[in-house]
Amino acid sequence: MSAYLPLEGVRVCDFACVWAGQTATMYLADLGADCIKVENPYVWNPATRAAAPVLPAAAAAMIPPWMGGHPDGDPGPRPWNNSPAFIHVIRNKRSFTVDSRRPEGLAIVKSLIAVSDVLAENLARGTLEKLGLDDDAIRAVRPDIVILHLPAYGRTGAYVEGRGYGAHIDGVAGSTILRGYRDSAPETNVQTFAGDFFVGMHGGLAMLAALRHRRRTGQGQTIELAQAECSASMFPQAALDAAWNGRSSGSIGNRSTEGFAPNGVFAARGEDRWLALSCRSDAEWQALVDFLGRPAWATAPGLETAEGRRAAEDAIEAELAAFVAARDRDELFRDLQNAGVTAGPVLSAKDATEDPHAIQSPTWKRLDATEDYPATEFPAPSFKFSRSDVTLRTPPALLGEHNEYVYRELLGISDEEHATLEAGGHITTTYADEILGR
Amino acid sequence: MTADAATPTALDGITVLDLTAHIAGPYATKLLADLGARVIKVERPGGDPIRGFGPWLGDEPGIERSGSHQFLNTNKESIVLDLKSAGGREVLERLLPRADVVVTSYPPAVAERLGLMPDAVREAADVNVLSLTNFGWNGPYRDYALSETVLYAMGGEMYSHGSIGREPLKMGGTASLVQCGAMAAIGALGAVYATEVHGITQRVDVSLFDVQLNSVDRRSSAIMAYRFCGRVNAPPAVAGPSTGAGVVGVFPCADGYVEMTASAGPYWQRFAEMIDRPDFQEPKWSDPAWVRSPEAREEVDIALYPWLAERTRAEVWEAAREAHAILAPLFTATDLYEDPVFRERGLWTEVEHETLGRFPMLGRPYTLSETPWAIRRAAPLLGQDTDAILDEAGYDAAAIAELRRTEAVA
Repeated sequence: MSAYLPLEGVRVCDFACVWAGQTATMYLADLGADCIKVENPYVWNPATRAAAPVLPAAAAAMIPPWMGGHPDGDPGPRPWNNSPAFIHVIRNKRSFTVDSRRPEGLAIVKSLIAVSDVLAENLARGTLEKLGLDDDAIRAVRPDIVILHLPAYGRTGAYVEGRGYGAHIDGVAGSTILRGYRDSAPETNVQTFAGDFFVGMHGGLAMLAALRHRRRTGQGQTIELAQAECSASMFPQAALDAAWNGRSSGSIGNRSTEGFAPNGVFAARGEDRWLALSCRSDAEWQALVDFLGRPAWATAPGLETAEGRRAAEDAIEAELAAFVAARDRDELFRDLQNAGVTAGPVLSAKDATEDPHAIQSPTWKRLDATEDYPATEFPAPSFKFSRSDVTLRTPPALLGEHNEYVYRELLGISDEEHATLEAGGHITTTYADEILGR
Repeated sequence: MTADAATPTALDGITVLDLTAHIAGPYATKLLADLGARVIKVERPGGDPIRGFGPWLGDEPGIERSGSHQFLNTNKESIVLDLKSAGGREVLERLLPRADVVVTSYPPAVAERLGLMPDAVREAADVNVLSLTNFGWNGPYRDYALSETVLYAMGGEMYSHGSIGREPLKMGGTASLVQCGAMAAIGALGAVYATEVHGITQRVDVSLFDVQLNSVDRRSSAIMAYRFCGRVNAPPAVAGPSTGAGVVGVFPCADGYVEMTASAGPYWQRFAEMIDRPDFQEPKWSDPAWVRSPEAREEVDIALYPWLAERTRAEVWEAAREAHAILAPLFTATDLYEDPVFRERGLWTEVEHETLGRFPMLGRPYTLSETPWAIRRAAPLLGQDTDAILDEAGYDAAAIAELRRTEAVA
């Protein structure tokens, strides 16, 4: 039986790193592409497989959970195979190791490119060029290839040398200045990375579009996705208000960009329990007023319209805060929703894993334990296809897990060459001693 | 950029029947339209409610002047159909088989009322159907409503976004909804690709809650971390930038703020180079005990804050680029609009609108060398293409007049 995978037979030579790049290629892998991570055991790529190649439990404990929360708090000897930040974005892919800086390694990479349909990269600027793999060199090996570059600020212009991770790129895209409390400066903002996966989605989509064009015409092409430019699309309202009306938006706290009122997050009964609530229409406001038992403050004239409610937003928020504070978060959430009011609990990571709706949804898939992590649920692709087998088909690729597949099956190297490359440290499932500080 | 009709597009020949409204669905189909797909936007009588949201062109409200609409519906055609009328339904049934993919964003209960559940659509026509729903088609929250804020609260990583003891914070704008649209676009094009390769059609379901849980901004990682070790991602113990054991966070400078990360190793070395303090490259700055000490922190503060205060964001960023330090300015939307470098690169474009004239538009998220991203047409006027689409679907002038008379179309 066919799995009807859209990208069956498409191969990706994957130099992607961090979240933006690794998610871009993950979406192609989800759709069935044979996505092969090219990993250099002599180079530690920051924020790609873990925070650091050597990560004692005590050090991991000092890093925020999303980055430092390895299994049982102990990354063990191979942090690169069990990072909570990155392991799950290596699903449905393959991994092989090669030191592409040495001639024999570069030759291997070129022979992989020769049988690839896509090359994706977001390495620090100039890295591929230094290896002798600029676009022309790549095309010399595979003329019809689709190339994806994901520079931070573009491959042209004065910002080409700008370095940054998602948080910094978010700053330029206008994300950071738009969030925070209304009464505090941006300095207290938590570092977030809103653009990373967003960029990955667009990278995935652009490659898919380019592959479709190639399938019909035989023509490859080069995609340039400047992450800051792409991320700006998350904030079209602010962008157009600036362009059209000369207005510069700042943070509005938890109030609504769309003008919904009330719109906020309120403390519920107990410790650290929060409820988000929006009245997206005058009808929802009336439903809320009824739910509250039509108190005098809520039926005051003028509050029937969003405009009127916005003028009284402080007072409305104070009343709602008092109401929510006395009630159970989850009961209130259900009761409000059943009454026709848009509301929801602020779910911590723990809450999310226990949420009764999420648990019964095809959101996660349990994977077997490996030497590096225990059996647990991993994220599955969020597009659910009814006929194509677009799902979490193969577990995250551990470092060098598919060396045999790539070297022998795909590239067909001889036993002799294999032995030489292995002795030369190209073929391995660990990082080189110099990376591990040994 | 603008392009003439002869320029090839990546999605030439693909037709999308777009039954979505508001933000997430229209962003998905906008991405396809901007890559060259033909997108027929079916609007309810009165139009997609997004037309009622600003910002407004010249601060003047109006269903054609909505910035949300103008951004989300570029390159689309508009037909107004009353799907509750027999005439409107008949038109829809004629349009369905002409599409490669039908995209819906009806809440399940509304889809049931309209008879437009994905499987029902697929019974009416052998076509791909992509559905965006809040929580999927089953389960206890199936019929619950979402806003940008509630979506981020439940699905996203709002819980750790804020200061301890204060309410958690949403992101700016309607970022969560836009993100979900981008994910859905991959699903739609994936389905069309499967049709072209395997000759099959199918349904693809995207739940906004699911997208948020499994992606954006540390959320999937925070959930993995909890499963791995029971640690819950929470707001930082101390709000604000840190200068102990590395310089991390948002810092003020002469005309605004910059965000920087100068933790240990090469990042610290580049930071020292940026602020021209070679002594910070001495070995003691690699000693964890020293860098965590109050004395070290004081030394950094004394060096850093005045250095920043004397420089604008542009000057700080230039120094950072020279040293390859990990730093960027916090831009406002105005900064982004006026920035000469992004202008030169083409981030902003202009569209020519039939009644409103020319106005600036946020441009491409990517460039494709052979099949250029382009706005070929501004967002449609309400019902701008109704007659042309009906004509194409085989309605003659009399039939169109009758449909208009009965208000089945507009």
